[in-house]
Amino acid sequence: MDPAAQPSMAEALDRMWTRFLPQLEERVATLEAVAAAFAGNHLSEDQRTSAIAAAHKLAGVLGTFGLDEGTVLARELEGLYSRPNSPDPAEGGQLTTLAARLRVIVESRNQPPPPPQQLHFG
Amino acid sequence: MAHRILIIDDEEDIREVAALSLETVAGWEVVMAGSGAQGLARAIEYQPEAILLDVMMPGMDGPTTFRELRKNPATAHIPVLLLTAKVQSSDQRRFADLGVEAVLFKPFDPMTLSTEIAGVLGWN
Repeated sequence: MDPAAQPSMAEALDRMWTRFLPQLEERVATLEAVAAAFAGNHLSEDQRTSAIAAAHKLAGVLGTFGLDEGTVLARELEGLYSRPNSPDPAEGGQLTTLAARLRVIVESRNQPPPPPQQLHFG
Repeated sequence: MAHRILIIDDEEDIREVAALSLETVAGWEVVMAGSGAQGLARAIEYQPEAILLDVMMPGMDGPTTFRELRKNPATAHIPVLLLTAKVQSSDQRRFADLGVEAVLFKPFDPMTLSTEIAGVLGWN
């Protein structure tokens, strides 16, 4: 591997992240909307299918951008929506929580680090 | 040596990141296709040394595309590596039984994807 490729690759990945962020956020929005529909007791088969697709795509890509936890959560959601007769009514809260955590993870990438805390002496 | 590789994936973000990775890290030449049908055409035209093929695609999926590639004398010899986000062992066995060179998994590490492919194909 060319060692010089590392910084340029990281910068290029950041640019790609910015470029594809709207698409990734749209997939998270799909998961949030489907979880809300399930909570409201009006989940259609089309919505369930779209949630499986959105979760599958997020699982496949988030880790590539360094968001391994995002991949784990998206896989969990894909599993919850994919089982026969799923999701289970008892899992409604979990669907909402997982989608919300995915939102936080996606939005947190490329956020500037918090300013260093000022130390006060005396 | 600049190897030539074809990436077939309907997801633009995955396709672009994989291409970026192989071009930037390994210096390979990459051609992309957004569907199985387009991939078959590109494989005939471009004659890549290897194909990185997504499993789940609308229309012609990865396994079907792989079988079509094998049927055509112009592409039958090209090694194919499947790329999938499916992690269940039953899926993995099914894909391996197709006769592909390897099954690689999403998410991949952009810094090591080319090393992984090169290792499978003996390009080291």
